[in-house]
Amino acid sequence: MKYLLVFFFSFGLIGCATVQQKDMSAFNRAAPRSILVVPAVNKTLDVDAPVYVLTTLPIPLANKGYYVFPINTTKYILEQEGLYEGDRIATMPVPTLAKMFGADAILYVTINRWDAQYIILSTTVTVEFDYKLVAADGTVIWTENKKMAYSPQNNQGGGLGGLIAAAISAAMTRAAPNYIPLAQSAHQQVFLMGPNQLPDGPYITQGK
Amino acid sequence: MRLSIALPCFLLLTLVGCAQNKYNWNGYDKGLYDAYKDPNQIVALQIRLQETIDALEKEKQVVPPGLYAELGTLYLQEGNIEKAKFYYAKERDAWPESKTLMNVLIKNLDSRKQVLEKSKQ
Repeated sequence: MKYLLVFFFSFGLIGCATVQQKDMSAFNRAAPRSILVVPAVNKTLDVDAPVYVLTTLPIPLANKGYYVFPINTTKYILEQEGLYEGDRIATMPVPTLAKMFGADAILYVTINRWDAQYIILSTTVTVEFDYKLVAADGTVIWTENKKMAYSPQNNQGGGLGGLIAAAISAAMTRAAPNYIPLAQSAHQQVFLMGPNQLPDGPYITQGK
Repeated sequence: MRLSIALPCFLLLTLVGCAQNKYNWNGYDKGLYDAYKDPNQIVALQIRLQETIDALEKEKQVVPPGLYAELGTLYLQEGNIEKAKFYYAKERDAWPESKTLMNVLIKNLDSRKQVLEKSKQ
Protein backbone atom coordinates (compact mmCIF):
# COMPACT_ATOMS: atom_id res chain seq x y z
CA MET A 1 0.00 0.00 0.00
CA LYS A 2 2.74 2.38 1.04
CA TYR A 3 4.81 1.56 -2.04
CA LEU A 4 1.81 2.01 -4.22
CA LEU A 5 1.23 5.43 -2.74
CA VAL A 6 4.86 6.49 -3.25
CA PHE A 7 4.66 5.13 -6.78
CA PHE A 8 1.55 7.13 -7.57
CA PHE A 9 2.95 10.20 -5.95
CA SER A 10 6.13 10.12 -8.01
CA PHE A 11 3.98 9.62 -11.07
CA GLY A 12 2.12 12.75 -10.18
CA LEU A 13 5.37 14.64 -9.84
CA ILE A 14 6.64 13.47 -13.19
CA GLY A 15 3.32 14.39 -14.70
CA CYS A 16 3.69 17.92 -13.38
CA ALA A 17 7.30 18.30 -14.43
CA THR A 18 6.68 17.46 -18.07
CA VAL A 19 4.03 20.11 -18.51
CA GLN A 20 5.83 23.05 -20.02
CA GLN A 21 4.96 26.49 -18.86
CA LYS A 22 3.83 28.44 -21.88
CA ASP A 23 5.36 31.70 -22.97
CA MET A 24 3.31 34.44 -21.34
CA SER A 25 5.20 37.47 -22.68
CA ALA A 26 2.42 38.39 -25.14
CA PHE A 27 -0.11 38.13 -22.34
CA ASN A 28 1.94 40.30 -20.03
CA ARG A 29 2.42 42.89 -22.75
CA ALA A 30 -1.33 43.10 -23.30
CA ALA A 31 -2.09 42.95 -19.53
CA PRO A 32 -5.86 42.88 -20.07
CA ARG A 33 -8.18 44.23 -17.38
CA SER A 34 -11.42 43.40 -19.14
CA ILE A 35 -12.62 40.37 -21.09
CA LEU A 36 -15.43 40.28 -23.62
CA VAL A 37 -17.02 36.84 -23.79
CA VAL A 38 -18.69 36.32 -27.16
CA PRO A 39 -21.16 33.54 -28.05
CA ALA A 40 -19.31 30.26 -28.58
CA VAL A 41 -18.58 28.58 -31.89
CA ASN A 42 -20.61 25.40 -31.98
CA LYS A 43 -19.13 22.26 -33.54
CA THR A 44 -21.74 20.00 -31.97
CA LEU A 45 -25.25 18.99 -32.98
CA ASP A 46 -26.84 20.58 -29.93
CA VAL A 47 -28.12 23.97 -31.08
CA ASP A 48 -28.69 25.16 -27.52
CA ALA A 49 -25.15 24.44 -26.32
CA PRO A 50 -23.68 27.93 -27.09
CA VAL A 51 -26.09 29.91 -24.91
CA TYR A 52 -25.79 27.43 -22.08
CA VAL A 53 -22.00 27.55 -22.26
CA LEU A 54 -22.19 31.34 -22.23
CA THR A 55 -23.88 31.33 -18.82
CA THR A 56 -21.04 29.30 -17.28
CA LEU A 57 -18.19 31.64 -18.29
CA PRO A 58 -18.44 35.01 -16.50
CA ILE A 59 -18.28 33.84 -12.87
CA PRO A 60 -14.96 31.95 -13.04
CA LEU A 61 -13.42 34.78 -15.10
CA ALA A 62 -14.59 37.38 -12.57
CA ASN A 63 -13.24 35.17 -9.77
CA LYS A 64 -9.91 35.34 -11.55
CA GLY A 65 -9.96 39.12 -11.15
CA TYR A 66 -11.19 40.38 -14.53
CA TYR A 67 -13.94 42.75 -15.47
CA VAL A 68 -16.21 40.56 -17.58
CA PHE A 69 -18.57 42.32 -19.95
CA PRO A 70 -22.22 41.45 -19.26
CA ILE A 71 -22.80 38.38 -21.42
CA ASN A 72 -26.50 38.80 -22.09
CA THR A 73 -26.05 42.49 -22.89
CA THR A 74 -23.17 41.57 -25.22
CA LYS A 75 -25.34 38.96 -26.92
CA TYR A 76 -28.16 41.50 -27.28
CA ILE A 77 -25.88 44.15 -28.78
CA LEU A 78 -24.38 41.68 -31.25
CA GLU A 79 -27.86 40.54 -32.27
CA GLN A 80 -28.84 44.16 -32.92
CA GLU A 81 -25.90 44.22 -35.35
CA GLY A 82 -27.22 41.07 -37.01
CA LEU A 83 -24.62 38.83 -35.40
CA TYR A 84 -26.27 35.74 -33.95
CA GLU A 85 -23.93 32.82 -34.54
CA GLY A 86 -20.57 32.23 -32.90
CA ASP A 87 -19.14 31.28 -36.32
CA ARG A 88 -20.07 34.66 -37.80
CA ILE A 89 -18.74 36.54 -34.78
CA ALA A 90 -15.46 34.60 -34.93
CA THR A 91 -14.86 35.86 -38.49
CA MET A 92 -15.17 39.50 -37.45
CA PRO A 93 -11.83 41.35 -37.15
CA VAL A 94 -10.82 41.32 -33.49
CA PRO A 95 -9.85 45.04 -33.34
CA THR A 96 -13.29 46.05 -34.70
CA LEU A 97 -15.10 43.96 -32.13
CA ALA A 98 -12.82 45.02 -29.26
CA LYS A 99 -13.24 48.67 -30.17
CA MET A 100 -17.01 48.37 -30.35
CA PHE A 101 -17.08 47.26 -26.72
CA GLY A 102 -13.95 48.95 -25.42
CA ALA A 103 -12.61 45.53 -24.39
CA ASP A 104 -8.95 44.72 -23.66
CA ALA A 105 -9.34 41.10 -24.71
CA ILE A 106 -11.92 38.76 -26.25
CA LEU A 107 -12.50 35.18 -25.17
CA TYR A 108 -13.49 32.82 -27.96
CA VAL A 109 -14.75 29.41 -26.92
CA THR A 110 -15.34 26.56 -29.36
CA ILE A 111 -17.58 23.73 -28.25
CA ASN A 112 -16.13 20.53 -29.69
CA ARG A 113 -18.19 18.08 -27.69
CA TRP A 114 -21.47 18.33 -25.82
CA ASP A 115 -23.03 14.93 -25.88
CA ALA A 116 -24.32 12.00 -23.90
CA GLN A 117 -23.55 8.46 -24.96
CA TYR A 118 -26.00 5.85 -23.86
CA ILE A 119 -24.98 2.35 -23.04
CA ILE A 120 -27.72 0.11 -21.68
CA LEU A 121 -27.33 0.94 -18.02
CA SER A 122 -25.09 3.95 -17.89
CA THR A 123 -24.56 7.22 -19.63
CA THR A 124 -21.37 9.12 -20.23
CA VAL A 125 -21.74 12.85 -20.61
CA THR A 126 -18.83 14.56 -22.38
CA VAL A 127 -17.94 18.18 -23.01
CA GLU A 128 -14.88 19.54 -24.75
CA PHE A 129 -13.88 23.16 -25.29
CA ASP A 130 -11.15 25.14 -27.01
CA TYR A 131 -10.42 28.44 -25.31
CA LYS A 132 -8.68 31.33 -27.06
CA LEU A 133 -8.03 34.69 -25.48
CA VAL A 134 -7.12 37.40 -28.00
CA ALA A 135 -5.85 40.88 -27.17
CA ALA A 136 -7.62 43.89 -28.68
CA ASP A 137 -4.92 44.19 -31.37
CA GLY A 138 -5.59 40.63 -32.54
CA THR A 139 -2.64 38.88 -30.85
CA VAL A 140 -3.53 35.50 -29.37
CA ILE A 141 -2.39 35.73 -25.75
CA TRP A 142 -3.65 32.47 -24.18
CA THR A 143 -5.08 29.19 -25.39
CA GLU A 144 -6.24 26.02 -23.72
CA ASN A 145 -8.28 22.91 -24.42
CA LYS A 146 -10.31 20.90 -21.96
CA LYS A 147 -12.29 17.71 -22.22
CA MET A 148 -14.36 16.41 -19.33
CA ALA A 149 -16.44 13.25 -19.10
CA TYR A 150 -18.79 12.08 -16.44
CA SER A 151 -20.53 8.78 -15.82
CA PRO A 152 -22.99 8.63 -12.96
CA GLN A 153 -21.94 6.06 -10.34
CA ASN A 154 -23.41 2.73 -11.23
CA ASN A 155 -21.47 0.33 -9.06
CA GLN A 156 -22.90 1.31 -5.73
CA GLY A 157 -24.19 -1.61 -3.75
CA GLY A 158 -24.11 -3.96 -6.70
CA GLY A 159 -26.66 -6.76 -7.08
CA LEU A 160 -30.19 -6.11 -8.20
CA GLY A 161 -30.51 -2.94 -6.12
CA GLY A 162 -27.40 -1.55 -7.80
CA LEU A 163 -28.73 -2.41 -11.23
CA ILE A 164 -32.01 -0.68 -10.57
CA ALA A 165 -30.21 2.38 -9.23
CA ALA A 166 -28.05 2.42 -12.37
CA ALA A 167 -31.11 2.13 -14.58
CA ILE A 168 -32.78 5.03 -12.81
CA SER A 169 -29.66 7.14 -12.99
CA ALA A 170 -29.26 6.41 -16.72
CA ALA A 171 -32.90 7.27 -17.32
CA MET A 172 -32.58 10.53 -15.49
CA THR A 173 -29.46 11.48 -17.34
CA ARG A 174 -31.11 10.54 -20.61
CA ALA A 175 -34.07 12.79 -19.91
CA ALA A 176 -31.89 15.76 -19.05
CA PRO A 177 -28.17 15.20 -19.30
CA ASN A 178 -26.63 17.70 -16.98
CA TYR A 179 -23.84 19.38 -18.89
CA ILE A 180 -23.63 22.51 -16.79
CA PRO A 181 -21.63 21.19 -13.78
CA LEU A 182 -19.27 19.53 -16.24
CA ALA A 183 -18.79 22.75 -18.21
CA GLN A 184 -18.31 24.66 -14.96
CA SER A 185 -15.59 22.36 -13.73
CA ALA A 186 -13.86 22.46 -17.13
CA HIS A 187 -13.71 26.28 -16.95
CA GLN A 188 -12.68 26.13 -13.31
CA GLN A 189 -9.73 23.92 -14.20
CA VAL A 190 -8.47 25.89 -17.18
CA PHE A 191 -8.91 29.35 -15.65
CA LEU A 192 -7.97 28.70 -12.04
CA MET A 193 -5.78 25.60 -11.87
CA GLY A 194 -2.72 24.02 -13.39
CA PRO A 195 0.46 25.40 -14.90
CA ASN A 196 -1.28 27.05 -17.86
CA GLN A 197 -4.01 28.75 -15.84
CA LEU A 198 -5.10 32.24 -16.80
CA PRO A 199 -2.87 34.85 -15.11
CA ASP A 200 -4.56 36.88 -12.40
CA GLY A 201 -6.58 39.92 -13.38
CA PRO A 202 -6.48 43.35 -11.71
CA TYR A 203 -9.29 42.69 -9.22
CA ILE A 204 -7.84 39.46 -7.85
CA THR A 205 -6.70 40.89 -4.52
CA GLN A 206 -8.56 44.15 -4.22
CA GLY A 207 -11.77 44.31 -2.31
CA LYS A 208 -13.61 44.99 -5.51
CA MET B 1 -0.98 8.31 10.14
CA ARG B 2 0.10 11.82 9.37
CA LEU B 3 -1.12 11.43 5.81
CA SER B 4 -4.52 10.36 7.05
CA ILE B 5 -4.88 13.77 8.68
CA ALA B 6 -3.11 15.85 6.09
CA LEU B 7 -5.05 14.49 3.13
CA PRO B 8 -8.56 15.33 4.36
CA CYS B 9 -7.31 18.75 5.44
CA PHE B 10 -5.86 19.36 2.02
CA LEU B 11 -9.00 18.12 0.30
CA LEU B 12 -11.13 20.36 2.47
CA LEU B 13 -8.95 23.33 1.63
CA THR B 14 -9.19 22.72 -2.10
CA LEU B 15 -12.94 22.28 -1.82
CA VAL B 16 -13.30 25.54 0.05
CA GLY B 17 -11.08 27.13 -2.58
CA CYS B 18 -13.33 25.86 -5.35
CA ALA B 19 -16.56 26.91 -3.79
CA GLN B 20 -15.41 30.39 -2.94
CA ASN B 21 -16.80 33.12 -5.12
CA LYS B 22 -15.25 36.53 -5.16
CA TYR B 23 -18.64 38.18 -5.46
CA ASN B 24 -22.15 37.39 -4.41
CA TRP B 25 -23.90 36.51 -7.70
CA ASN B 26 -27.00 35.12 -6.07
CA GLY B 27 -27.71 32.60 -8.83
CA TYR B 28 -27.23 34.96 -11.80
CA ASP B 29 -25.82 32.15 -13.96
CA LYS B 30 -28.65 29.78 -13.08
CA GLY B 31 -31.26 32.50 -13.68
CA LEU B 32 -29.79 33.29 -17.08
CA TYR B 33 -29.64 29.59 -17.97
CA ASP B 34 -33.31 29.21 -17.07
CA ALA B 35 -34.19 32.28 -19.15
CA TYR B 36 -32.35 30.90 -22.20
CA LYS B 37 -34.05 27.55 -21.72
CA ASP B 38 -37.51 29.05 -21.29
CA PRO B 39 -38.04 32.69 -22.37
CA ASN B 40 -40.93 32.94 -19.91
CA GLN B 41 -38.31 32.95 -17.17
CA ILE B 42 -36.91 36.34 -18.27
CA VAL B 43 -39.24 38.14 -15.87
CA ALA B 44 -38.00 35.93 -13.03
CA LEU B 45 -34.41 36.79 -13.99
CA GLN B 46 -35.22 40.50 -13.98
CA ILE B 47 -36.82 40.30 -10.54
CA ARG B 48 -33.90 38.26 -9.21
CA LEU B 49 -31.31 40.73 -10.53
CA GLN B 50 -33.24 43.67 -9.10
CA GLU B 51 -33.46 41.99 -5.70
CA THR B 52 -29.78 41.01 -5.75
CA ILE B 53 -28.65 44.52 -6.61
CA ASP B 54 -30.93 46.15 -4.04
CA ALA B 55 -29.75 43.78 -1.31
CA LEU B 56 -26.04 44.19 -2.15
CA GLU B 57 -26.34 47.98 -2.22
CA LYS B 58 -28.15 47.96 1.10
CA GLU B 59 -25.38 45.89 2.67
CA LYS B 60 -22.76 48.08 0.98
CA GLN B 61 -21.31 45.10 -0.85
CA VAL B 62 -19.80 45.15 -4.32
CA VAL B 63 -22.25 44.39 -7.12
CA PRO B 64 -20.50 41.82 -9.39
CA PRO B 65 -19.19 43.02 -12.77
CA GLY B 66 -21.89 43.24 -15.41
CA LEU B 67 -24.92 42.83 -13.18
CA TYR B 68 -26.08 46.46 -13.36
CA ALA B 69 -25.80 46.39 -17.15
CA GLU B 70 -27.64 43.08 -17.43
CA LEU B 71 -30.55 44.52 -15.49
CA GLY B 72 -30.41 47.67 -17.64
CA THR B 73 -30.69 45.58 -20.81
CA LEU B 74 -33.70 43.68 -19.44
CA TYR B 75 -35.39 47.04 -18.77
CA LEU B 76 -34.48 48.20 -22.25
CA GLN B 77 -36.06 45.09 -23.77
CA GLU B 78 -39.34 45.89 -22.06
CA GLY B 79 -39.13 49.49 -23.32
CA ASN B 80 -38.16 51.19 -20.06
CA ILE B 81 -35.45 53.49 -21.43
CA GLU B 82 -35.06 55.59 -18.27
CA LYS B 83 -34.35 52.59 -16.07
CA ALA B 84 -32.04 51.12 -18.70
CA LYS B 85 -29.99 54.34 -18.73
CA PHE B 86 -30.00 54.46 -14.93
CA TYR B 87 -28.46 51.00 -14.60
CA TYR B 88 -26.02 51.48 -17.50
CA ALA B 89 -24.76 54.58 -15.68
CA LYS B 90 -24.40 52.56 -12.47
CA GLU B 91 -22.34 49.94 -14.30
CA ARG B 92 -20.11 52.66 -15.75
CA ASP B 93 -19.55 54.30 -12.36
CA ALA B 94 -18.83 50.99 -10.61
CA TRP B 95 -16.51 49.52 -13.26
CA PRO B 96 -14.27 51.90 -15.26
CA GLU B 97 -13.58 49.11 -17.81
CA SER B 98 -17.19 49.37 -18.95
CA LYS B 99 -17.10 53.13 -19.52
CA THR B 100 -16.75 53.09 -23.34
CA LEU B 101 -19.60 50.66 -23.87
CA MET B 102 -21.95 52.13 -21.29
CA ASN B 103 -21.48 55.66 -22.63
CA VAL B 104 -22.26 54.49 -26.16
CA LEU B 105 -25.38 52.67 -24.97
CA ILE B 106 -26.60 55.69 -22.99
CA LYS B 107 -25.91 58.05 -25.89
CA ASN B 108 -27.78 55.80 -28.31
CA LEU B 109 -30.77 55.65 -25.98
CA ASP B 110 -30.77 59.45 -25.68
CA SER B 111 -30.80 59.95 -29.42
CA ARG B 112 -33.44 57.26 -29.84
CA LYS B 113 -35.60 59.10 -27.34
CA GLN B 114 -35.15 62.37 -29.21
CA VAL B 115 -36.25 60.73 -32.44
CA LEU B 116 -39.29 59.31 -30.69
CA GLU B 117 -40.22 62.66 -29.19
CA LYS B 118 -39.80 64.45 -32.51
CA SER B 119 -42.03 61.95 -34.23
CA LYS B 120 -44.74 62.65 -31.66
CA GLN B 121 -44.68 66.40 -32.26
